Amino acid sequence: MKSISKIPRGVRYFYGEEVKKRRYVERLILSVFEGWSYEEIILPIFDYHSLFALGIGQDKAEHTYRFLDSDGELLALRPDLTSLVARTVATRFATSNRPIRLCYNGEVFRYKEAQEQRPHDFHQLGLEHIGNDRLEADLEVLLVAIEALSALGLSDFIITLGHVNFFNGIVEYLGLNQHLIEEFRLLVDSKNQSKLSYFLGEKLPKTQAKELCELFRNTGGSAFLEKAKNFATYNQTLTNALADLTGIFEIAQSLDITKYLTIDLGDVNGLDYYTAMTFKIYVDKVGAAIASGGRYDSLLKNFGVEDPAVGFQISLDLIANIIEKPTNSIIEKKHLSASQNLVEMFQQAKELRKNNTQIEIVDQII
Amino acid sequence: MTKLTIALAKGRLQDQAIKLFYKAGIYVAEEQISSRKLILEDKEKNYNFILVKPTDVPVYVEHGIADLGICGQDVLLESIADVHQPLDLGFGYCRIAVAGKKQEDNLTKELSVLRVATKYPRIAAEYFQQRGVAVELIKLSGSIELAPLLGLADRIVDLVETGRTLIENGLEIKEIVSETTAQLIANRASFQLKRTSILELVDLLAKTLDKP
Repeated sequence: MKSISKIPRGVRYFYGEEVKKRRYVERLILSVFEGWSYEEIILPIFDYHSLFALGIGQDKAEHTYRFLDSDGELLALRPDLTSLVARTVATRFATSNRPIRLCYNGEVFRYKEAQEQRPHDFHQLGLEHIGNDRLEADLEVLLVAIEALSALGLSDFIITLGHVNFFNGIVEYLGLNQHLIEEFRLLVDSKNQSKLSYFLGEKLPKTQAKELCELFRNTGGSAFLEKAKNFATYNQTLTNALADLTGIFEIAQSLDITKYLTIDLGDVNGLDYYTAMTFKIYVDKVGAAIASGGRYDSLLKNFGVEDPAVGFQISLDLIANIIEKPTNSIIEKKHLSASQNLVEMFQQAKELRKNNTQIEIVDQII
Repeated sequence: MTKLTIALAKGRLQDQAIKLFYKAGIYVAEEQISSRKLILEDKEKNYNFILVKPTDVPVYVEHGIADLGICGQDVLLESIADVHQPLDLGFGYCRIAVAGKKQEDNLTKELSVLRVATKYPRIAAEYFQQRGVAVELIKLSGSIELAPLLGLADRIVDLVETGRTLIENGLEIKEIVSETTAQLIANRASFQLKRTSILELVDLLAKTLDKP
């Protein structure tokens, strides 16, 4: 046997204050989800590999911990929770009334290369709103996200609101082939203005190329969105995408939540997954988005039902790093001594526990 | 403006990066540069510069410890860091090349498995895999040119600036894998949270590079 102290790559143990903090965050977020009538679903740790391939695509499903069932079927530790929710909706809830509101809380596991010294499991809290393709569902999800983060005492976060069909509409207008789409996507993602304007300059009049370049690189509020609308006339895809964003932004303005929102048309990650609006949430001192989500109207089709859906997930790992320790967790504790009469001592213990007092049995009360 | 932290690759690119900032009007005092300090600050106190090993630049930036970083494209290709790459700084031009002993041109066809020594195992593996060449990778951290001379490897994949070291050791370039120049990289969250300051600097540096 290996040394007992050796742990496998990527494995983590949590203890002490960190556990309290994580449980506190979980409880708070889940209670916000519940407050908006999202019902928690507990999902299996592993399932068929082919199921995850349907949900997140064959390529990403490669990066999973895989093993065989006794009948030879390939299984995988869950790399994603939405796939499992989607299958549940498509089977058990196939005939239930829409919309269906579900939330979850759990780890996902991704296989990492040997040289990547990062955790291999990630803890996510998320929700899915299934069966409503309208604006109200998008806004509901945004509002739940804002409430969840606010409940945790975060206030200086920003939500970047994007739409995959802004990029897709431009691609359609430019008539790019598969190879050029990926080149274009990488350029938009790099935020490299000179390379992007060169790419666009070959295909568009100079002023439009410049404007578009700025739209992909910069972000902003309603004035920024107005500028983007210059491109709405290019095709129906762009018209609809910008109408979606305008709709969300206008209501957000009336609800006074635009202080959190900024329009980001240059978010081109997850194009193969999301089908309309997307968002990411950032907070100071964290190097990655702490939450992300969006609309994915075609995913459920892979599982055999035609349901639009919108959802998001929050990274518990990132949140736990920045949240202040909950102050209300300091409870008065009563010490009982094991050196006195045990029957008396345990009777006393039982009484104290009836009042929910925290007790600890020690050898000697100091 | 929000203060930005910039990770600079020590060594080859450091002086040129500091020169570029100087030209852009961002001054770092001489005594700071010549000291052994690892964290420097410009005179206006708008920027912190941290000096780290080239391969660590994407690490600091991806984790958001540094908002921005300057390192070679070679380092980025090897690390596959998830960062924005808003500006090609143009300096520090090098080629990533496959090199080997003179005359030995047909090794890839003759050998069933090619032994390749390199500092860039990911780049090398990807390059040979794409071409259907089976390789055994030998990861070294310096003096890569020694490997074929002493029979440790058949080929090397390394950064070639002038090619003089190769020539002096009886080696030559067999194939070019990629070209590399210094890149400005940005953390994804910083780019959202400190966008105004970052874009201001990106545009300033771009303008400075265009100046003769």
